[in-house]
This record gives sequence, structure tokens and C-alpha cells, in this order.
Amino acid sequence: MAVPSARPLPRALPRPPAPRRVPVPEPVAWLAPLLAIATLFFLWPIINVIRLAFTDTTLLREDYGYTLETFSQTLSDPALGHVLGVTAVFVAASVAGQLLLGLAIALIVQRAVARGLHGAVLVRTVVLCGWVMPGVLIGVIWQIVLNEGPYGLVNSALDTVGVAPVSWLSDTGLALVSVVIANIWRGTAFTMLLLYAALHTVNRELYDAARVDGAGRLRTLWHVTLPQIRPVLLVNVILITIATLNTFDMILSLTGGGPAQATEVLALHTFNEVFVNFSLAAGCVLAVLLLLAALALTAVYRRLLGGRDEA
Amino acid sequence: MSHGDRAADRWTYVGLLCVLLFFGIPLLWVLSLSLRTQEDILVTSLNPIPDSPTLGNYGDVLESAQFPRFLLNSGLLAAIGSFGALAIAAPSAYAFSRLRFRGREPLLVAVLALQMISPLIVAFPLYRYFASLGMLDSIPATGLVYIAILTPLATWMLKGFFDGIPQDLDEAAMIDGASRYRAFRLVVLPVALPGLTAVFVLTALLAWAEFVIPFILLSDPSNLPISVGILNFQGTYQANSTGILAAGSMLAILPAIVLFVALQRFIVGAFTAGALKG
Repeated sequence: MAVPSARPLPRALPRPPAPRRVPVPEPVAWLAPLLAIATLFFLWPIINVIRLAFTDTTLLREDYGYTLETFSQTLSDPALGHVLGVTAVFVAASVAGQLLLGLAIALIVQRAVARGLHGAVLVRTVVLCGWVMPGVLIGVIWQIVLNEGPYGLVNSALDTVGVAPVSWLSDTGLALVSVVIANIWRGTAFTMLLLYAALHTVNRELYDAARVDGAGRLRTLWHVTLPQIRPVLLVNVILITIATLNTFDMILSLTGGGPAQATEVLALHTFNEVFVNFSLAAGCVLAVLLLLAALALTAVYRRLLGGRDEA
Repeated sequence: MSHGDRAADRWTYVGLLCVLLFFGIPLLWVLSLSLRTQEDILVTSLNPIPDSPTLGNYGDVLESAQFPRFLLNSGLLAAIGSFGALAIAAPSAYAFSRLRFRGREPLLVAVLALQMISPLIVAFPLYRYFASLGMLDSIPATGLVYIAILTPLATWMLKGFFDGIPQDLDEAAMIDGASRYRAFRLVVLPVALPGLTAVFVLTALLAWAEFVIPFILLSDPSNLPISVGILNFQGTYQANSTGILAAGSMLAILPAIVLFVALQRFIVGAFTAGALKG
């Protein structure tokens, strides 16, 4: 680690800039490893992804030339409009679902813990299991659960109660629903944890006051709890939006983006441009779009936090 | 205890049960399939408990040359990524927490932005560098990228933990003559151990789940981690040997869940301490 030491160096080897005479500014030394890795693995690649977006490079040959063609072609591709639509539905539905379900679970678990009921820790652990799994595996698991073959759980269960099988993965509309359900299953744990922690910060006296005023549970939730945890809710929305926007590994193994591109979100579209169409340049154009979205959301996040960092 | 409280307790249990079913049943179903022969899987009626449970699928998975290798590679990459990210993030996080310098705020925001950036964005140029340097298909080289993508989150989390440690502690050590570095290493780091553990667990889990980077930088089956390998596995076994795919999925989840369950109090603690909110 490049960290300065106040002790003199034991060995008297010739060292060009003697540390005493040319003192390294303290923060630079502490931050050097971070700055090095950020430059090498983020800054430089990002500059290059922008540069490559203005070329015609492919995975198939070495040399390339500069052109604006890739940019205009990729952005005017009619498929892109469709992909952005799918992405909007996927992100909006996932975020709404994770937020509502995560809040509900946080409230239920909080009440169960407060009342000393059994099973709260078990429930929290099971919810978190989905979150810690590789995305591809989540796709594989839901592929098995929603399968339209004999081993699909949901259709077997529906069959037992006399309902006809449902085309969870081969119907264009339902496939998107299935992908959203799987993503809610995956991501809800994060919201649950964040909101569960936030619920503990709400002043108990406010609840007592609400009870004295005769407010019911729902009114208390709406008028006391939610306004109190509003900053965390907003931060939470930003974080799960960006996580969902970047999701594609789960979709890759669940539907592969199909049927007929019905579940091809922007991140998966980017991946496909490179690994199916071999157009590295087009992939870079789309990566720039993803980058802009990430930066915009970071800016919003920063505004929400305001100056709260200066503790 | 009022009648209303007891009625509400019942509803709380109903809620807990619903949550447990939605999140637990997919896993139990895959577990159930993993214990069956292929004939037992193709029975159309719903039978949650296999008629004649067998561990044969697990034997087949572990005997396949690739699968244990996938797990080992995932473990290696997770270890390199998490320890490396901790080593790089700890001094920077300490500086962000304790030192006041010009550019601190913009740098913090930049680190936050890096955390939001999908690995997919940097993966394509990295592929080109690694190709030109002859570093494709190397686990240590890929491990470096793991370190890089885990470092921003580790820095933010650790800064949160360091903020929670009283400054008096390291200042007392420095008054006693220790350099800031010694105070950091000998006084602050030991106190921050629960935080370091939380960051280690979280980054190790993220590394275990990482997909894009190994997919792009590694290609030889003997180098692949499980997150990519399971995709090959799905292609091979989905149609005719669902039991083997299910058993493989269970084995792939197991290490992550064991690590998580053993150390989950640190993660829950990290959320409660607000370390993830920035």
C-alpha cells in the first residue's frame, strides 16, 4: 500500500525524491490506490467506450475506422424504440413491486419482532436468499418453476385445481410479467433491509400521538410512518432503479430476451449487439446510453442526500 | 392483551406465511426436483415430495469434470475481489472520513457514480486491452477487474463505518506519537472489524454473482466461475436432465447461502448503521 510512514526508512538505499524534503500531500497518498484503480479500470475504459462508439469496430476483425454511421444507425434502429419501451415497463413494474412488497415485509417483520412472534428471522433470511444468488441462477430457477413442460411448478399447481396451463414464457405479454416477477423475487430483499432499518428511526412518540388522536393503522402508516422515512424511500427508489436498469443476467437464462424480443431490455440489447451481432461499436453506443442513465440517477441521488454527508 | 392485538397477530402470521411461501417455494421446488430421477420429474401431476428420493443427480454433477472447477474458480475470484477491494478501499475510506481536503466532495460523488456504473459499460474496452496485453482467459487478471468493480461500494460502506468511530480514538493514538498510518492500522482497523466483515461478506456475494466480467474475459471452461458455467450447464441439461440442472443450481447457491446465513448479522447491522445509504 502506498501509505506514508513517519518513521525513517531503515535501509539507506538511494531514493530519488527524499520523502522528507518533498512531502507527498497526505490525502493523495491515502487515495492513491483508489485513484489508480479508478483510472485504470473505469476512467480509461469509459473514455474508450465513448471513442469506440464513433467507430465501426467489430469483434470479427482488428482494424477499424472512425465514423458517425454506427451512432446514427444504432439510435435510429426501430428495434431500439421497442427495447426502450420494454425497459421502461420492466424497470417501472420491478421498482413499484419491490418497493411495495419490501415495505410490506419490513412492516410485517417489524411488527412480528416487536410482538415477539415466531418466524420473523426465518422469513427475513429466506427473502435475502434470493438476493445473494447469481442472476443467471435466478433465471434458471424461475425457468424451472414457470416451465410449460411437465416439471413446471406453477402450471402443475394450476392443473391440480383444474385451471388450463398458462404460457408464462412463450406468450409475449406474459413473458414480461414473468421476468418482472422473478426480478421482484430477486430484489425485494434490498428494499426490505433498507426500510426495516429506516422504520427503527421513526420516533415512537409520533405513534403514541397518532393513537391518542384515534388514527387507525393505515392512517398512521400514511400520515406518520411514510413521511418520516421519505428520504430513505427516495434513495431506495434510485438505488433499485439503477440496479434494475443494469439487470440482464437473470433475463438471459430465463427467457433469453424472447419470445420475439418481448423481454429484451437495454442492458441485454447491448450485450446482444456485441455477442450475437458482433458489433462492438454498436454495443459501445448503447453502453454510452446506459452510462448517461447511471450518471443522471447519480445526480438525482446526490441532490436527495443534499449536504447530509458532512457529518 | 387486547382482542385487537391478538387479531392483528393472526394477520401478521398470515403475512409472514405468504412471504415465506412466495420466496421459499421456488427454492424448495428446485430442491425437490434435484432429488428425483428423470422419470419422476416427467410425471405431470403435482407431487411436492419425490416418491423415491435419490442423491444420484448430485453425484452426477460432482463427477462431471467441470462443475467442481466452476465452484473453485468462483471461490478464487471472490477471494481475490473481496480482499483486494478491502485493501484498496480501507485507506481511501479512512481519508474520506477523517481528512478534509480540496476536491473531497466531488471525489466522493465520483466514487458513488462508479458504483452506479454497470460492469457492462467498461467490459468492452477492457476486453480489447486484455486481448492486446495477452491477458485474456487469466483468472488473476480477471480478479483485478473484480477488485476494481467492488472497490467503489467497499469505499462508501467503509467510510460509513469509519464515520461511526469516534475521532478521539485515533487522535489519542497520534498524540501518543503514532503516525496517522499507525493509528489507522493499529487502532481504527481493529475497532472497525464488524464493518470490514460486513463489506467482505457483501463484496464476496457480489463477486460470486458477477456475470459480465468473467463472461467476457474468460472463455476456457476450466477457467469459468459458476455464474457463467451454469449457463453452459443449462444449455446442456435443461431439456433431458432437469434433475441434474436442479442439483447443479442447488450446489451453486449453497456456498453463497452458507456464507450469508453465517454472517448475515453483519449485513443487517450494516444496513441498520446506515452504511449503505452513503
